Amino acid sequence: MRKRTLTRGLAGIWWVTLFFLYVPLFVIVLFSFNSANSTAIFERFSLAWYRRLFDNEQIINAFGNSLVLAVSSSIVALVIGCLIGYGMYRHRHRKLGWLIVLIYLPIVLPDIVFGISEMAFFVQIHAWTGLLQPGLGTMIIAHVTFQIPFVALIVYSRFVGLDPTLFEAAKDLYASPLKRVVHFMVPTIKPALISAFFLSFTLSIDDFVISFFTAGPESATLPIYIWSAIKKGVTPEINAIATLMIGAVALAAVLSMLFNRQGRR
Amino acid sequence: MLQSSPMAWRRRAVVSETRHLLFSVAPGAVWIFIFLVLPSAYLMGVAFMTNGPYGLPQMPLSLASFERLAGFGFLGWSPGNLYTLLRSLWQTLVSTALVVIIAYPVAYYITTCREKWRPILLLLVVVPSWTNQVIRAFGWMNLLAPGTPLSDLADALGLIGPHMGLYPSNFAVTLGLVYNFLPFMVLPLYAAFEKLDTAQVEAAQDLYANPIRAFWHAVFPQTLPGLLAGTVLVAIPAFGMYVIPELLGGGKGMMLGNLVANQFAESSNWPLGAAGAILMLIATFIGLFAMRRIGKRLGGGEEVVI
Repeated sequence: MRKRTLTRGLAGIWWVTLFFLYVPLFVIVLFSFNSANSTAIFERFSLAWYRRLFDNEQIINAFGNSLVLAVSSSIVALVIGCLIGYGMYRHRHRKLGWLIVLIYLPIVLPDIVFGISEMAFFVQIHAWTGLLQPGLGTMIIAHVTFQIPFVALIVYSRFVGLDPTLFEAAKDLYASPLKRVVHFMVPTIKPALISAFFLSFTLSIDDFVISFFTAGPESATLPIYIWSAIKKGVTPEINAIATLMIGAVALAAVLSMLFNRQGRR
Repeated sequence: MLQSSPMAWRRRAVVSETRHLLFSVAPGAVWIFIFLVLPSAYLMGVAFMTNGPYGLPQMPLSLASFERLAGFGFLGWSPGNLYTLLRSLWQTLVSTALVVIIAYPVAYYITTCREKWRPILLLLVVVPSWTNQVIRAFGWMNLLAPGTPLSDLADALGLIGPHMGLYPSNFAVTLGLVYNFLPFMVLPLYAAFEKLDTAQVEAAQDLYANPIRAFWHAVFPQTLPGLLAGTVLVAIPAFGMYVIPELLGGGKGMMLGNLVANQFAESSNWPLGAAGAILMLIATFIGLFAMRRIGKRLGGGEEVVI
């Protein structure tokens, strides 16, 4: 008897929490279809805000910047992080504690501290040398810096999970180191490479604070555009653009669920 | 081919290993050194410099920015910055406590469900946090603004002044923090609950019967590693939060993150901002260190990786 009330109470808390988690997102989606420019009263269903979205050049530019930033920083981070991950594995018996600390640093650092230290550094270097003008370039550098640890850790843990004798076998099979990389290393850690790339990509797309502080006047990403629109109080299209982003996340969630299912089979 | 001595062979192996280390680890180590260690060191140096006319740091070295952080300015002592510090601590404390209170039953509920449903339920908890945090805060702005049903309700109950709205306020910031960090507590707690030894709980129930005591003596110690991991994941980023207080808090809801950021934007006082950043770093390291110590003493040295 008592057990049943406990289970019911737990279920109640679960549903209330779920409601709490989804209500703000639901409100955004709902009001993106509102014909009136209001977040309090829903007038009629309309797609007007979406139509305006695609005429807004700033939003299209911001979307392009987000994509360029995410793809290019992920590629650079993948190459560098992969090398570190392999180096950490190959030399794991050496004392590389300092390297681990160095690598974990961007994960532990509060992103506001990371963002402003990058910004202050870039501004100072720019004042001295004229290099590193704030813009997509500086944003890519900052993003690569916080993506490297995640890539390195994923690749490292994949290598640790492998049977060490595989490396001996590869050495016997392929004489040249290059062939060993192409025919053995890359294929065996391919899943790790793919998931590291997607994680870097997501981290970059999702980031606001670090991008905000390292951006130049021309390089606003989507979150930065949304931020400044909210700050200026010009919000009608924000619901529509936010809905599209929520939709992308929902799609990613469904895909990851399907992948998980397949992986377990 | 010449027969080489074992010594020479070994030396060549060492050289090749070192070269390998250089090629694999060096590019990343150099990158992180230039773009992470140098900027952090520079920022720490800036904290001890003097504020120049354009907000850029200048010599001579001084502790002026730390004094200003404690409230001492040109016009004598004022509590503004100290209030911001205390508010950051208070918000972190309250939101972490609330997150723990909500996350315990939620994580436990998921473990009571059928095994095939559990990953889906966990995903349902995590998915909202995949949306950009600016968008999530904007959702709460929509919900709590003046004239919305929630604000009208609070108004009718006399909780807020007429036509005030629940946002911007400290309450909105707490709510936003709880909303933002809840998944980070549910995941490690769920991991702890899944490994829970139910025999202990049953024994406790047989002996004490009181559910609160059963929880305290049989469940709580077993989930402590998860709780600690969750607290690190929630409290440290909450203390340095920038977006949520900026959007939901208004002028009276400012936290340390906003104080720091403002010094690099409108107010232009880099040394003061850098001093605030150092404070944040100290808090981060104290938090990590304390958790590690407590975790080790309890023998639950498990690391939870998300």
